[in-house]
Order: sequence, then structure tokens, then C-alpha cells
Amino acid sequence: MTTLRQHLLIGLAVIAAFAALPLVITERYLLGEVIIFFIWAMVAMNWNVLMGHAGVFSLAQMLFVAVGAYGMAMGVTFTGMSVWAAIPVAALATAVLALVVGMACLRLTGAYVALLTYAIAEMIHVLIITDTACFTLVANNCQQLFGGATGFSRFDDFGFRPLLKANWILGNYYIVLSAFAITVMIVVVVIHGRLGLAFRAIRDNVGYASSRGIDRKKYQIAAFVITAFLTGLVGGVYAAHFRFAGPSLFEFSTLMFVLAMVVVGGLGSTWGPLIGTGSIMIVVELSKEMGDARNLVLGLALVVFVVFMPKGLARAGRTIANRLLRRNRPEEAAKPH
Amino acid sequence: MEIVIQILVTGLTMGSMYALAAVGLSLIYGTLGMFNMAHGMFMTLGAYAVFSLASSVGIPLALAIPAAMVAGAIVGILTHLLIVRFMLNSREFETNILVATAGLAILLEDLVLKFYGGYPYPQPVRIEGSFFLGGVSITYQAAVIMGVALACIGAVAWLLLKTKFGRAIRATAMNRDAARLMGVRTNTIYLQVMALAGALAGVAGLMISTLATLSPQMGGDPLLKAFVICVVAGLGNVWGAGVCAFGLALIEAAIGFYFGVRFGFPTMLMLVILVLIWRPLGLFGKEKVVRL
Repeated sequence: MTTLRQHLLIGLAVIAAFAALPLVITERYLLGEVIIFFIWAMVAMNWNVLMGHAGVFSLAQMLFVAVGAYGMAMGVTFTGMSVWAAIPVAALATAVLALVVGMACLRLTGAYVALLTYAIAEMIHVLIITDTACFTLVANNCQQLFGGATGFSRFDDFGFRPLLKANWILGNYYIVLSAFAITVMIVVVVIHGRLGLAFRAIRDNVGYASSRGIDRKKYQIAAFVITAFLTGLVGGVYAAHFRFAGPSLFEFSTLMFVLAMVVVGGLGSTWGPLIGTGSIMIVVELSKEMGDARNLVLGLALVVFVVFMPKGLARAGRTIANRLLRRNRPEEAAKPH
Repeated sequence: MEIVIQILVTGLTMGSMYALAAVGLSLIYGTLGMFNMAHGMFMTLGAYAVFSLASSVGIPLALAIPAAMVAGAIVGILTHLLIVRFMLNSREFETNILVATAGLAILLEDLVLKFYGGYPYPQPVRIEGSFFLGGVSITYQAAVIMGVALACIGAVAWLLLKTKFGRAIRATAMNRDAARLMGVRTNTIYLQVMALAGALAGVAGLMISTLATLSPQMGGDPLLKAFVICVVAGLGNVWGAGVCAFGLALIEAAIGFYFGVRFGFPTMLMLVILVLIWRPLGLFGKEKVVRL
């Protein structure tokens, strides 16, 4: 069995398990938490493809979430588009923006890319929150073109509230799960297909990869645009689920929150981001009970993992598994046939 | 004419602060090859250290500057000893250290928030009053900022160019292994560079806090600008960083005056992107021969 097929099967198993989860969990709060898990896991998986596999250190990932969310919110608020149409449109808009940003930033390499993408995201953040000119009036309240300092809220969501009544969250759950399923499948195919091979070749040795005919810029821009499209999709789903799109998406602590998920899970792995998202969410949830220590915990997690476990939990888990297997093997070999 | 002087004064004042931050950042990148995402927190901690001292003991400005330097230097040294030291020889140092220092930044910011609270305190060490030059009122504080920045950058230039210590730093920046073979203790150099850059950041933080107020997030904006300045100048180019700091600050001041303050930074950034498309290694960057 090829590794691609193996990982696709794992992916299907994970998705099936989550699809069956509402049979066990019926509490609305917990289902809401799982939906949040899907959303951050999708962002983390895409970031992992871009940073861990393609070697593009982009800090614009939350910008792409925000563009997806704002795009969807603006589409629904200003043009009266339906939610279902607005999400793909917002994702496409994100991909187009990523193409422009990528063409400018990916002339550079390494840490330059990180700085420039971060600076662009921050610039857009500042421009949005300092905007005070009214674009239209919504219910006699000033509504800025890009939402200003408060953002957009109270627009249409998926529309399950009148349909499923008290169980509306189940509708949202399965919609976000299907976006999650799409992301998982695409990410696995990209990582274990020819594209992923090219990405890792460039990451590991640019000179050798280009001498074999792999154009660094072309492939890195491809990685940038594909992951941006999927990240924009997450943004749209986020906005539709929470009925909110605001500048909090741009905050540095949010960026670090997701980065911690990717790093703790393991850069360059396949399933690390899922493990990382789960662990970080649980740890942050626990730290809430001990007072507001979210950023403290995140900072500490980032520093400790980068210094002591740069390959993250995914690699640590595999090492432990290997060690256990190796310990078992001699015993098996000693057994008489 | 008055407008031109006004823009010049604003630009030079901002440029002084950017230069203090950018020179330190560039020094660290040039020597250790690391991006210090926690540099903004070095500034914030320098400012808060002076605030604590001044509100408990009441120190004059002449003592506040060395105090900020010492505070910044201590933070720099601790960062090196507790984090950077362990990672210097790891694979993918450049990206890993970015993540680690970003983590440190968010950690320190939260600690400052917990310890001092989010209230925007004014910096107690500050000179009031202003004088007129060519019909434009200039605050004494702005003059002090320019003077301090010039003195600090002059001192750094003297250190780097005229002393044995500076020669060792430059040698390490040029080629770590060759410097080590010539008997330079590179690990000590790294520590010294972190202390020096931390001291500069501490002063920058103090100066910034005298113009605005203290807040746990005060380092974020100057850090971003210092990054952009370093990228434009070419990473690790200390002189270029100083020149670009003033150049970009003047442009930002002019744009801010004619089109509104909120467009200052975005325009600066657009210029930067254009510069990078034209010269990917920055204005003063030199092509490095890299063995693949």
C-alpha cells in the first residue's frame, strides 16, 4: 500500500469518527468546541503544508482567514448574496490576493518572507481599524466598508436555526465537518503526491531541486495560492458559523495561537497539526480556569517546543512507537516458527 | 517653509527612535543570523524599568537613560542565555528562532500586562516645554530624543569601527568559523551583541514612551517599522539600517502630513515592496556567495 493511500485511509477514519461524534456528544457547548477545533485545525494544516513542506515561512495565514471571513461578511451584508455563494467567492478572492502577495514576497526567501508577509498583514489590519468613514448605514448605525474597529456581525448564517430549531448546531457541525473533510483530503493528496515531493525537494535543497527542473518560485507560489484558497474557505466558514468577522482575527496573539498549534504538533508532518490543535485547545481551556493565562501558556509552549522538540508531538509520538516496536521485535524473532 | 521644517523635525524625531531599534535588530541579524521578534519587548521592558525606578525613587533623565540601557541589556543577556544559546547550532535556526522569540515576545507581553496592568501610564521622566526654530515650535523632548539617538549610534559606530571588541564582532558577522579560528570567542561575542542590542532597544523604548504612553503593546509598532527598515537596508547591514531609518521616517512624516497619519506606514510599506522587487537584497545588501 502506498503511503498516499495509507494516509487517505487514516483521513477517512478521522472524518468518519468525527461524523459519528454527535451520537456520543450531544451537549451544544462541546459540539461548538469541536467546530472551533475543525476551524483551527484547517488553518493549521494549511500552514503546515506551506511552512513545513514547501518551506515558505509565511505569517500571512491569519490575513487569509480574515480575507475569507471579511469577504463572506461583506458579500452577505452589502450585495445580499446567499451565504453559500459568498463563501466560495471569498475563498477565490483570498487566492487572488495570495497570488499578488506571493508574487511580491516570494522573490525573497527565508526570514525575509516572514517579515514581509507579517508587515503586509499588519498594514491591512491598521488600515481597517483606523477607517472611520461610513460606507452605508445599517439600522441607522454607521457601517464602514471594511467594518472599521468593530467588524461585521449579525449577518445571515447557514440558516439552520429555523430549519432544525434547537438542533441548529448539528447543521453547522456537519457543514464545518465537510469543509474539514475537503481540507484533509486535499492536504493529504498534496503532501503525499508529486506536488509535495517537489515542495520538500525545494525546502531541502533549492540548488539541487532547480537543477532537476523544479522552479522554486513557481512551486512556492503554487503552495501559497492553494493553501490561501483553503484558508480563505476556512475564513468564510468561520464568519458564517460565528456570524462575525472582525479585527480580532488580525491580532498577534491569534497568529501565535495557530502558530503554536503547528509547531507543537510538528512542522513537516502530516497529522501533527491535528494533534497540535487538539493539545493547544485543551491546554488553553485548562489555563482559562487558572485565570487568564492564555498568552503565557502559548508563549511558553512555543519556546519550549522549538528549543527541545522542534519536530513536535507528531515526531515524538512516532519515536516512542518505533522504540516500542524495536523492543518487541527481538522477542518476536526469538519465537520459534 | 514652516511645513518643511515641521516635517523635518517630526521625521528626524521618529527616525531617531527607529534608528535605535533598527540598528540593534540589524546588529543581531548580522552577527547571529537571527530575527529577534522579541526586540519590541526589549523596548517595552526598558521603558517600564525606568517607569518603575522613576515612580519609586524619582530619577532624572540623565540617570534614566543608563537605567533603560541596563534593563535592556539584562533582558538581551537573559534571552541569549536561556533560549538562543541552545538553538544556535540547530538545523533551520533561522525559522526556529523566529518562532521562539515570537513566543518569548507574547510571554513577556503577558507578564508586563499582569504586573503593571493595561493602564496607559505616562512616562514620568520627561522634559516639558518647547522652543521656536524658524517659526516652528519644537519640544525639548524631541531635541533630547535626537541628541540621545545620535550619541548612542555614534557610540555604536565607534565601538564597531575603532575597538578590538568591534573588530571581533565584525569578524564574527563576516565568517563565524574563520573568526573562531583566529581566536575570537564567538559565543562571548554573541552574548555581547545581544547585550548591546538590548541596551539600544531599552533606550529606544524609553524615548518612545516619553512621546506616547507606556503600554504592554507599545513595542509592536516600532518593531514592525524596524523590521521593515532592516529589510529595505539589506538584512544585517548596520549602516544601511541607520540611513534607511531616517529616510523612511521622513517619507512617513511627509505622507502623514499631506495624506493623513493612517497612510504613513502603508505607503512606507508599498515603497519597501517596490524596492525589494527592484533589489531583492535591499538597498545596501550585497550578493552573498552561498554554497548549496
